[in-house]
Amino acid sequence: MPQDIVDVLIVGAGASSAAAAWSLAETRMRILCLEQGDWMNPSEYPSTRKHWQVLRDVDYNQSPNVRKRDTDYPINENDSAVEVANFNGVGGGTILYSGHFPRFKPSDFRVKTLDGVADDWPIDYRTLEPHFAQNDMNMGVSGLPGDPATPYHEMPLPPIAIGKMGETMGRGFNKLGWHWWPSDTAIISENYEGREKCINLSPCNSGCAQGAKSSVDIAYWPVNIRMGIELKTRCRVREITVDENDMATGVIYFDEQGIERFQRAEVVILACNGVGTPRLLLNSKSKNFPEGLANRSGLVGKNLMLHPWGRIEGTFTEMLHSHLGPQGSCILSQEFYETDPNRDFVRGYTLQVVRGQPPVNIAVEGTRRGDIPWGEGHYEAFQKYYGRQIQIEICCEDLPEEANTVTLDPELTDSHGIPAPKITYRVSDNSKRMMAHGLERAAEALEAAGAIQVVSHGQVRASGWHLMGTARMGTDPEKSVVNEWGRSHDVRNLFVIDGSIFVTSGAVNPTTTIQALALYIADTMKKNLANLFD
Amino acid sequence: MTDGVPSGSFLTEEQSRSLLILLNMIVPPNKGQGLPGAGELDFVGYVREFAPDQIEAVQNELDLLDQASQSQYQRRFADLDQNEQDSLVGRMRKQDVEFALHIVVQTMGCYYQDDKVVIALGMEARPPFPKGNDVVSGDLSLLDPVREKKQIYKDV
Repeated sequence: MPQDIVDVLIVGAGASSAAAAWSLAETRMRILCLEQGDWMNPSEYPSTRKHWQVLRDVDYNQSPNVRKRDTDYPINENDSAVEVANFNGVGGGTILYSGHFPRFKPSDFRVKTLDGVADDWPIDYRTLEPHFAQNDMNMGVSGLPGDPATPYHEMPLPPIAIGKMGETMGRGFNKLGWHWWPSDTAIISENYEGREKCINLSPCNSGCAQGAKSSVDIAYWPVNIRMGIELKTRCRVREITVDENDMATGVIYFDEQGIERFQRAEVVILACNGVGTPRLLLNSKSKNFPEGLANRSGLVGKNLMLHPWGRIEGTFTEMLHSHLGPQGSCILSQEFYETDPNRDFVRGYTLQVVRGQPPVNIAVEGTRRGDIPWGEGHYEAFQKYYGRQIQIEICCEDLPEEANTVTLDPELTDSHGIPAPKITYRVSDNSKRMMAHGLERAAEALEAAGAIQVVSHGQVRASGWHLMGTARMGTDPEKSVVNEWGRSHDVRNLFVIDGSIFVTSGAVNPTTTIQALALYIADTMKKNLANLFD
Repeated sequence: MTDGVPSGSFLTEEQSRSLLILLNMIVPPNKGQGLPGAGELDFVGYVREFAPDQIEAVQNELDLLDQASQSQYQRRFADLDQNEQDSLVGRMRKQDVEFALHIVVQTMGCYYQDDKVVIALGMEARPPFPKGNDVVSGDLSLLDPVREKKQIYKDV
């Protein structure tokens, strides 16, 4: 094709990219998405094999440093209290996520006003509300309307099965008088849009062979492609190029043969997550942008937020069959979500009740802990835990700090020689106090529900799924990287639509909010097409 | 029951003898439940197929055990009587809580995915897909007290 140029080039094919591409398709612009990974083949997911428990350990591990697929890039996290989790492929992180899908709340967008910390967002919940609803329809979200902890909204599908374990924990929360509710979940509880409903395979976090989990390779991309969006896999973008007028001209990327190519574009949209996006911007140095593209504020890569994550598990005498059902989704409690001045921390957390562990994990952890002995009595001890565990995870709101960063590692590179990201991250004192409170409350809830043993794992290091804040949005170009609709302050045809643009982190899994933001940005672009770069 | 060095083993004969004893110390046969001991399963085949990166660690842990035996008893671990084996392993576990950790982790993976064991757990020996599992919906009337609560999120 002579001097091939596309109207819109999107880098990455994960949650935000899929949503934005869907929205922009109606413009009939030529839209191309470049994805460094592959299409997934659900028939290869671990749950299709008898040894699924161990097959998750490497190829479907949440850490790119363990997975080491040739489509992954390494991450230096030696100086981080949390290890990054991601997936590189069509679907991005949604391939391995739980599908736990609670929305941000109105207060999450007004942290400065309410609590005097961090910053307010330049948009609010009401702005995103129609986009949340649209995304729920597109993804296929199950849930129960009427939760008093979140603005009223309806979902296209009824809630997924909470099981005996959900009932057990519900009774415990009721005993304490605390809030709980079946989680909004991006897993279809009934057949939906040609997809078969959830059949409780259980290991959602290593890919859903049934296709019931709403990963965007299933929920969005087939539709997008039918609408004319082009998607090229195994294309790894090295650099975004700009002209002398500070306008993006396209990207340099390696194709699937490893050949370096240039793709021209009128508009470039970054959707590479809170680590991949700053990495690409920092790798895109030029005469006009010596510190990295779109980085005149100096904030690209700063204010990384990861949600400090706690885990605690309770064991019950009754067989709850808790190891069955969607692994990461059941019920939640947001009793401690909003700031309470009587506590020694600001903001709050979600208690995410998740299913019990599968047999091998129970055996390994129980044996290491000494609760399941070697020798006589081993199997009897194992049975005390099997199907009788409930886990509660504590998702703490992380506040932005400039010292928590994504930078470029001076030595580490990916397989194409592109500098890899380095994470520098510490858990703040506020988060530590919040975590301690959350672990105590979670233990209290498990005991109220009847747990005979409670084991706390404290803050878990391998938990960095939620990558936010590293190209924050705002109205002031000196204090933010993109404006209130995702456009770079410095490069007027460059947009960022992933979790990088979050101003604060909320205390919930961010995917639904990321996608609502992507739809909102795409919508705003459509409304401003005539003067998009003004 | 595995007997001697399995064909294609990555272990020496001595390592193999030690391993067999150690595996049955970790998970002995449970006649009451009709369950095999871990030594009766194809541990070597399992590690070779699913955890080849652990082979060296398994070898090293077996060598460490045998060295300790020779140092204390001047005999190979497999040649000790059962009391001596129990005593030595007990002492090594006390000295190092992570003693034989790689072997233990692989043992649990091998054992709790074995067909006989999976069936004893009340499950079918099959992958989760395509048949799936039944989970009760749950009684959502338990939410009645929560429904009675006023809005608990802050409206801004």
